[in-house]
This record gives sequence, structure tokens and C-alpha cells, in this order.
Amino acid sequence: MMGPWRSFVLKASSIDISTHKHSLVKSSLESQLKTLLPRGRVFTSAAQLAGYGADGLGYKNHIPDAVVIPADAEELVGFMKGAKALHVPVILRGAGTSLSGGPVAAQGGVIVHTSALKRIREMNVKGFWCEVECGVALNDLDAALKPHGVFYPPDPSSGPVCTLGGNVASNAGGAHCFRYGVTSNYVLGVEAVTLDGTVHRFGGPAGGRGPWREDWKRFMIGSEGTLAAFTRFWLRLLPLPEKVWTFRATYPDLKTTEAAIHALVAHTSYPAAIEMLDPRGVAMVESSQMACGLPEGSFMLLVEIDGPEPLVNARVEPVAELLRRAGSKDVMFSDEDELRKKLWKARKAAGGLLGQLSPAYVVQDAVIPKRALAEVLQLVYDEADAAGIPAVNVFHAGDGNLHPNFLFDSRVPGDLDKVELISKRLMQRVIEVGGTLSGEHGIGNDKSSYMPLVFGPDSMRLQLAVPASFNPAHQMNPLKVFDNRRFAA
Amino acid sequence: MNVFPPMLNERLFVPFLDEVDGTLCLPASATAAEIAAQTTLYQLRFPLLLDESLPLRDQITATTHASASCRFGPFCDNILGMNWRLPSGRIARIGERVVKTTTGYDWLRFLLHSGSRFGEPTDYVVRLRPDCGFTVVALFEGTYTALENGVSQLLHSGWMHWWDAVDFITDATGSKVRVVVHCVPSEAAIFVRQLERIASSIHAHFTLHQPTSPPFDGLPDLVLKTTVDRVQSLASELSREVERSIAFCYCGVLHLYLKPGVNLTERIHALAQKVAPELHDIGGDWYSRWLPAMPPTITESPWLQTLEQAIHDTCTP
Repeated sequence: MMGPWRSFVLKASSIDISTHKHSLVKSSLESQLKTLLPRGRVFTSAAQLAGYGADGLGYKNHIPDAVVIPADAEELVGFMKGAKALHVPVILRGAGTSLSGGPVAAQGGVIVHTSALKRIREMNVKGFWCEVECGVALNDLDAALKPHGVFYPPDPSSGPVCTLGGNVASNAGGAHCFRYGVTSNYVLGVEAVTLDGTVHRFGGPAGGRGPWREDWKRFMIGSEGTLAAFTRFWLRLLPLPEKVWTFRATYPDLKTTEAAIHALVAHTSYPAAIEMLDPRGVAMVESSQMACGLPEGSFMLLVEIDGPEPLVNARVEPVAELLRRAGSKDVMFSDEDELRKKLWKARKAAGGLLGQLSPAYVVQDAVIPKRALAEVLQLVYDEADAAGIPAVNVFHAGDGNLHPNFLFDSRVPGDLDKVELISKRLMQRVIEVGGTLSGEHGIGNDKSSYMPLVFGPDSMRLQLAVPASFNPAHQMNPLKVFDNRRFAA
Repeated sequence: MNVFPPMLNERLFVPFLDEVDGTLCLPASATAAEIAAQTTLYQLRFPLLLDESLPLRDQITATTHASASCRFGPFCDNILGMNWRLPSGRIARIGERVVKTTTGYDWLRFLLHSGSRFGEPTDYVVRLRPDCGFTVVALFEGTYTALENGVSQLLHSGWMHWWDAVDFITDATGSKVRVVVHCVPSEAAIFVRQLERIASSIHAHFTLHQPTSPPFDGLPDLVLKTTVDRVQSLASELSREVERSIAFCYCGVLHLYLKPGVNLTERIHALAQKVAPELHDIGGDWYSRWLPAMPPTITESPWLQTLEQAIHDTCTP
């Protein structure tokens, strides 16, 4: 009888000791953080930390040891100067809308929330550039630029809340990337703070190397917080197109949809966006309050062209004719804002509806050569159907950037395993057809296990040399991008 | 824990042309004519070329931008992947064949203009664009103020997206603005009307030419990277010290061509030193194919050593 009792006492006492020790460590960390951030905020209570456990990926939860909000860039630099001595991981975070498990404390540590660095410092319309702090929300920048007749093209769907720091860290894209390109095409300069608190300015308004021998900003963009903290950026701007036409067409099957996409990407009207919603996405929209009359079982293409009025107007009928010739019997198009919004409705609604339909979902982000679109989508359907996991495809067809959404319930034993198995088979096929793991979401801790599919021994050495240069102990955002990036305090 | 065993090979690119994606893998030694020979059949083109007969590698090594970068961006946005020969002789795959990637650190853009320190490209995967079949070159000639006004009008409207090139050129004959338009024949009149409207508003002398190919300006001796709002005035200030200059107005890039002859490298060096402080202040830079690369700063030396060590380690099994 004594055995189990003794065992219980020992267990209880060890929990007590460990909890006590943990709270001591935590209180020491808290006091160190408060010293480093006299003007900023330091959160350590469970209620305060709960909101920082996950990003847009949702189902993977990693509660940090603390969250800090530096009051400004100067305080962020001060924090970075002292961060090494904290001996805990440091994770930079903007709005937390990442879809790859990027800005989360996978190995514990301190999350640095950059929400206070939200100043648009300069807009130089004549020079087509602006200078912004890393916590500026994307749509706030758009709103500030619009009256000046210029815009910053990357447009991830999280625009109302996502920050430019997160956009640069994950090389964000969006619906209009087909013609306009992604974040890396628009970053002229990055101000980055390494873990010793040194501030480096890589590039600037002119977009070159600056006084450096090498163009280091290239490694910073898309580095997912693993190299340095960003404080501000210099971004390239474009004049706003005066006129936009939006087209919506539906197709009866995957083959004809693929043919339409192939014709569009080579068309001399240079569409800005070519988006696709599959029949499962159409069914999801049509059975919701966002229904907009799409035919059952159809594949929907959403296409946009823009430019000066006389030019873009001359391109309307050729694009409509292309969509009809490819097999669509219901091509709709408009240049009126209200009607255009209606045409976009199904595409925009789909993302939000996924969250309502399923307790959790994983969205993949592979990019494939477009000749393999139908084949790889069929693989998604076959694998998901066989596993009993609903899959909805809403994606950037012009770029070949797939976003299969696998809906599941993380509380159901085995569901997540099924999704991971489907994702693994999908990624293997993606690489076989010449594609890549991620087009705009980043790798985070969601796709890091697939990296050996992409990089051979030599290129893997080169990849790992980059964090080894700037952050050799992997204190910054460990276990991300490459899952062997573990911080050893 | 990795669910996949490490890869045993480097997935090197093999030559291909994907007419659906508009991508082409070809040797770094390929010339403009060799590229055109593969792409014309599919009504595709690679617009970022500076020279008709020199290898693509030499063109990309000489500068970051070409005239058509106004519309299509710098070389680094139009080269998607490379096979790269490391100093050890081993070849590694860098980048992708698809147009979008955020898989790992961006070695492609880092290496593309890094000189020979880390090795050299053996093959490129380039992004092609639709060949619309019709090219027209417009020349505006007038006072500096008129041309400055003209450039402003060309850039500060939605038309800017559709000019292949807006170049401010100075040479022995004076200054001019060159606009290159590439379009389907049915749209040519729309573009020409807009160009005539601008020429008329700035009282510039305006001529149109229909070349068989876009202009090949040759490799520059010195490349300066500055801001969009500074490049034209900088070109004008340096015009007396060079034989010819071409400013890519939207890119903030200035290609300088010096008179050949004695002391060429000294003259380039002097010019570079003169503008370097101004350029560095605004995150710009200079580069010349005739001069050795700048020495690394104290800060970047250890970073470079780490990268070089990794490259050296590629020899180790």
C-alpha cells in the first residue's frame, strides 16, 4: 500500500518543486525584461500569453514564457542588445497572421510584438518610395498612399491586419502577384538589428547595397525572423492603375479550367490576377449566406486586368472571348466598383468560411509548373477523399501557387496524422513535378520537415550557413525554416 | 524530426523550355540570338538584354538592370534559378523554375551579382514574357526641363506599367528621352496617341522608329544605383565626363559609357569615388566590370567567412 502512496507524494512534490523553480525563473525573466524595456510592456500572466500561442495556422499552440511590446524602435534595439544574455529564444511577431507556424514560441522564449512601431516615416511620391516601420498594417499603408496616386502592390488577404514586418519576413504575396510580383520585388532596404544590438541598414531608398560589399538584404527578406529583428523598410511604389476590369467565368471540369489558365498566363493583356475556386469551394460559398449564384459543380476563375482607360478597355473583349473560347458559358465582367466587388465575393468569402466550417484547417502553399495543375489537384482530391478529409482549393492559379485547405478536427484522434500524410504525399509530388514547398506563406515550423525534399547536401550546407552567419546559436526563432535549428542556451 | 531522409542529389536543372509557364533553362553562355531561336516559335521573349552577341552571363555580371527593367524589374526578378559552380568545382542548384518561392534563404538574389567570390553560374532559368509582335521606339528631344517634365508624365500615371523602357540618354548629340513600347499591333495607335500627347504638352521634338529588335546599348563601364528622383539630374551632372549615359528613369539606375583609351580604369575609379558617398547615403551603390569589387566592411567580413567556410565544406563528403 505504501508504494503507490509514496510514489504519489514524490510526484506531487516534484511538481511542486518544478512549478516553484519555474515561477522563480519566470519572475527573474520578467524583471530582466522590465529592465530592458522601461517604457514598453511586459506580459507574463497566462491570460496575457494565451493570445500568442498560435498564429494563423491555429492548431499548433506554443505558449511563450513572456511577451514584450517595445515602445519604439530605440527600445527594440535596447532589447536586442540585452537579449543574448536572457538565454531564451527570441521570436519577432507582427499581427500573427502567418499561416506557417512562423511567429510562435516553438521552443519557448520571449515573443517581441512589434505593434508599437507603426509609423509611416516618409512618402516620396516623386521618387516612388516610402519608409515605414515594421508594425505598419498593410492596408493602413495602402490608405495613406492612395491619395497620392501610388500603391504598394503585394496584397495578402490578411491586409487589414497583417504588418509589413511580417510581410517582409515571410516574403508575402497575394492575389495580384501574377503581374505585380511578391514582397521581395518591392523591398529597397531593410533596417535590421542583430542579437548584439547592432543596427544594420541594408540598402535604402535607392535599393542598392549601400556601403556593403554584398547585398545582404536579399537574405533578410523571407528569413522568417531567424536572422535579425527588423525595425523599418524602404519600399518601392508604383502609380495606381486608373481602370480595372474584373471577370468571372465558370467551367465544367478541371481540364477546361486548366486550358483557360494556360491561355490567360500567355495572353498579351498581362492579367494582374488569375484566381481559382474549385467546386468544393463553390459549394461552400453557395450553401452560405455569401451565395452568389455560381453553378453547382463548377470551377470558378476570377481574372483582373488593369491599366490606363483606353488601353485596358481595348483588352476587355479579347479577354472575355478567351474565357468563352476555353469553354465557359457564363462569363461576367465589369469595371464598376460595386459589381466588381460582387464578382470577387465568392473568392474573398471562401477564406473566411473555411474557419466557420471546420474547427481547424491546414492550408498548403506549394507552387508548381502550371502544366501540372490538373494532375496535382487531382492528387489532392484523391488523397483527401481516401482519407475522409474534406479539401477545398482556393488559389493563385496564374502563379501555379496552390492553396489546398484540408479541414479537420484536431480533437479527433488520427485526423491530424491523416492531414500530415496527405501533405507529405502532396509535397513529394510537388517536388517531383519541379515545384517548391512555399510561394508566399513561408516555411515556419509547419513545412520545415519537408526541406530535405528540396535541398541536396551542398545546397543544404549553403542554406544553413545563412543563419550560422547572423545567428549561430539559433536564438532567434529556433525550430523554424529548418527543424534542426534548435537553440542551446 | 525530419520525416524525409536527406536528399542524395542536388536536383540540378537540365535545359528545358516550358511554354506554359514561360520559363527557359539555358547555358549561362547563351546569347540573345540563341535565346530568341528557342523562344520565338512560342511567341515568347526575354526582354532584359543589353547586347546581341555577348553571353547572358556577361550581361548579368556587368549590371543589375537593363532598359526593359522599367516594366519587368531587374535581372534578379527575371532569373528564377541557376546551376552554380562552387569554387570547389561542385555544382549546386540555386533557386527554382517556378515564379514564386519563399522556400529557404534567398541565395539566388544574393549570388546573382556577387562577382566570382562564391563561384559562377553555369545555367540560368529565365522568366519569359509574351512576344506581342510589335515594337516602337519614341524619341523626345528638347530642353532639360522639358525632358524632365516629360519623364515625370511618363512615369506618374498608369501608363508607366506599360512602357518597356523610359530612358534619359545623354551623348555627343545632346539629351533625349527614349521610350520603348512593345504591344500587339492593334494597340500601337493607342500608345502612340498618348506619347504624342505628352510630346505636345512639353513642346519636345518627337520621332517614332520601328526597329526590328529592341535597342541593344552594350555593356556599361560604370553602373550607378540611385533613387528615381535623382537619376536624371545625376546623369546630366556627369554627362561631360562620359561619352554616353543612359538613365533607366523608373529604376534609378545610370549606365555610364566612357571613352575607351588610356587610363580607363583610373577614370572609372575617380568617377565612382566622386559619387560613392552620395550613393551610399541613400542605400545606393556603384559597380564596374573593369574594377575589383569593394573590400568587405569589418562587420561583413565574419559573415562572408562563414559563408565561404560552408562553400568550402561542400568538398567534404
